Amino acid sequence: MGCQASAETPQTGYSAAALYNLANSYARAGKPGMAVLNYERARLLAPNDPDINANLRHVRESLQLPAEPHDWFGRAVVGRPAVIAWLGVIGLTIVGVSLLFRRPFSGPRWLRSAMAVVGIALVGLTVCNAVLIWPKLHEGVVIVAGTSARVSPVPMGDPLFVLPEAETVTMTAEHEGFVLVRTRGGRIGWVSQANLAPVLPRN
Amino acid sequence: MRQRQSHGILLVAIIAAHVAMIAPAAADTPLVYATIEPAQITLGQSAKYTITNLGNGTDSISLPVVSGLAFQVLGRTQQFEFVNGTMLASTSTVVRVTPQIAGIFTIPGITPKAPPLVLQVISDQPAAKPLGPHLANAPVKPPIFSGESLPDGVRLTPDGSAFIRLTVPKREVYVGESVPVEIEVGMRSGFVSSLNGLPKLTGDDFTLNNLSRQPERSEKLIGGIPFVLMTWHSFLAVVKPGTFSLGVEAPLTVKIRTRPRRDSRLDDEFGDPFLQNLFGATVPKDIDVSSPASQLTVLALPADGRPADFHGAVGEFKIATDISPASAEAGEPLTLRMRVAGSGNFDRVDSVMLEHLEHWKTYPAKSSFSASDGFGYKGEKIFEQPVIASNPGAQTLPGLSFSYFDPTTRRYETAHSSPLSVMISPALAERTLSPAQVSARAATAPAREFQSGLRPDHILAGDSANSLIPLYLRPAFLAVPSILALAFAGAWFGTRRRGQQYSARVRIGPRAIDRELAQMRAAAAAGDSAQFFHSARGAVQRALGARWQMAQDQITAAEVHARLGSEGEDVRRLFALADESKYSGHDFKVSDFARWLRVVRLLFADEKSL
Repeated sequence: MGCQASAETPQTGYSAAALYNLANSYARAGKPGMAVLNYERARLLAPNDPDINANLRHVRESLQLPAEPHDWFGRAVVGRPAVIAWLGVIGLTIVGVSLLFRRPFSGPRWLRSAMAVVGIALVGLTVCNAVLIWPKLHEGVVIVAGTSARVSPVPMGDPLFVLPEAETVTMTAEHEGFVLVRTRGGRIGWVSQANLAPVLPRN
Repeated sequence: MRQRQSHGILLVAIIAAHVAMIAPAAADTPLVYATIEPAQITLGQSAKYTITNLGNGTDSISLPVVSGLAFQVLGRTQQFEFVNGTMLASTSTVVRVTPQIAGIFTIPGITPKAPPLVLQVISDQPAAKPLGPHLANAPVKPPIFSGESLPDGVRLTPDGSAFIRLTVPKREVYVGESVPVEIEVGMRSGFVSSLNGLPKLTGDDFTLNNLSRQPERSEKLIGGIPFVLMTWHSFLAVVKPGTFSLGVEAPLTVKIRTRPRRDSRLDDEFGDPFLQNLFGATVPKDIDVSSPASQLTVLALPADGRPADFHGAVGEFKIATDISPASAEAGEPLTLRMRVAGSGNFDRVDSVMLEHLEHWKTYPAKSSFSASDGFGYKGEKIFEQPVIASNPGAQTLPGLSFSYFDPTTRRYETAHSSPLSVMISPALAERTLSPAQVSARAATAPAREFQSGLRPDHILAGDSANSLIPLYLRPAFLAVPSILALAFAGAWFGTRRRGQQYSARVRIGPRAIDRELAQMRAAAAAGDSAQFFHSARGAVQRALGARWQMAQDQITAAEVHARLGSEGEDVRRLFALADESKYSGHDFKVSDFARWLRVVRLLFADEKSL
């Protein structure tokens, strides 16, 4: 039912719910690579959505792929990026005001100090969120089963290892239609762009 | 006749072994002898060559060296033997002898006085017919030569024991052309001990392809005399035009008679070369058998009509192309193949395949060659080029071409292939499918483990973002905090600058501070309380006015309380004492002056630190 409802909605942009529904459809269609890709994209918009995280974990565990490490700090500072962004702006404003009106302001010193701390904390929250999100923006998902990672960025390069479908890798470089990837296990190899989809769409 | 030869070999081995065993034992010297069995084997088999050392077993024994035979020590054994009633310790070394070519091999004696051993290796090819007494009556193939006169290109050695012949199919060739040739070495049975090397060309103007393959072996009657024929097939090439002399030669070991012919008439009639060896009728001698030189004209390739993609291929070729798979996704590599089949110089058959094709990414091609004739003149060379389509849809790859020079027609030819069609579908990651489309395509997909247990879909709320990039990383949004930061920074610097300018006007210099303190000290020394506190209040007002960027008369007890709170208690008390001393005339003690002097000095110290 959800599929039909989302299919009828015009796609004018990216929506966490639409991406989540699309990922569910791919999962039910037996395409775990595209499912994980769209779950990851949905997480960029709604990082703390329990359904997205649960289904992503379910697909990965069913494929016996390595689970994401438990990161309490990441959970603490990751929120909706749009909200975090505006909180950072507010924090910057508070810090600026506390510095600007330090001399003529005749109120107690602790109040000015408290304002500065709150502002810095909000800016710090935004910076931490960006630091945690940044690697996600350079990740890709293997969408073709049995993708070969090669020693060089050419089709006839010697294969180093085989990547399972739906594995998430870090993309470190690109060359002539190939992407240099690093797995969570630390292995490095060149993969054809056709077999890999970046979490952050190119266009 | 063949049976008689076998008996002869056995007799030689037995006699040699007995003579070698008895004579040295009687001389009370270490006895070393060797045996080989069997004396006749088929090519591909091995014979056991045993070296026995009676007496001092520590003597080192060197293996014989015979061209065409490989010796490999398998092991050593030690035992005791009775020789003429004397028990001797014996050491036996077992050696595997593996022939590399067919022929009759003479293994030198293990000691200078020991007789040589003979190993006959026959070919395992069914075409080879054994020689024997029945040969004259048996139906045999007609000899390649007959009569007293030999055909052209054949020249026997002076003793008539061997010949070598080079057969070239044509006398005019082109530079770079591969010309198939046949090299035939004829060895008279019983008169040639061994072939000591592969045939080679006598001139430096030609190159001969590898002859390491096993030659064909046959036996023929030439002028009524049996010959063993070894035949190699290969091809030669030449790199420069001109007229060159061409010949071929090969190293042999032949047996030379050591007795006058009339004395060895019985040997010839008996016809067994091994008995001749035994009784010293012949000695081995290394010779080179060579063919008569012939002339070969090499023509340069014509410059007119040479195609741009000609890489030096000379011969007759055909091409065929294919691509696999026939359908793929955009970005997925496909393999374009071109097969060049025919005959000629395949080492010069080359192609760059496709280059700089629009909407395609092409990679360098690699090639592989498989010969169909065993020596590389005929076969097929396959070029494989990875190509990647960047755009989806029905794509067409242009036909390929291959240019070569045909020595038969004496002109350049260009073979063309037909264009190839391939269907390219959009890459999976680039497809914009709706969940309904995905579900529709999934109807035929097999069920997998993760398809169950998913949480249900969400209801769309209508909120959407233009990009998945977080807001704080988008350039448009980054302008907001940037402008804010710049505005605050500008305002802060402006305020600071104004403050600095005001401070410069009202700030008390070090001399003024010293002067104020000197006045206070003078008033204290004079016991003038009113003057002391008046000076102290003025000094404090100037100091705080400079710090807060305010006029001196605006520094009151109330302002101090508002700004400093409890920390300004001493200042407010000083202001009160100043009023008290001025209006009430109250006198203070010297200790009070000292205390308030410290307070003011501390205040000035703070002002200096600002």
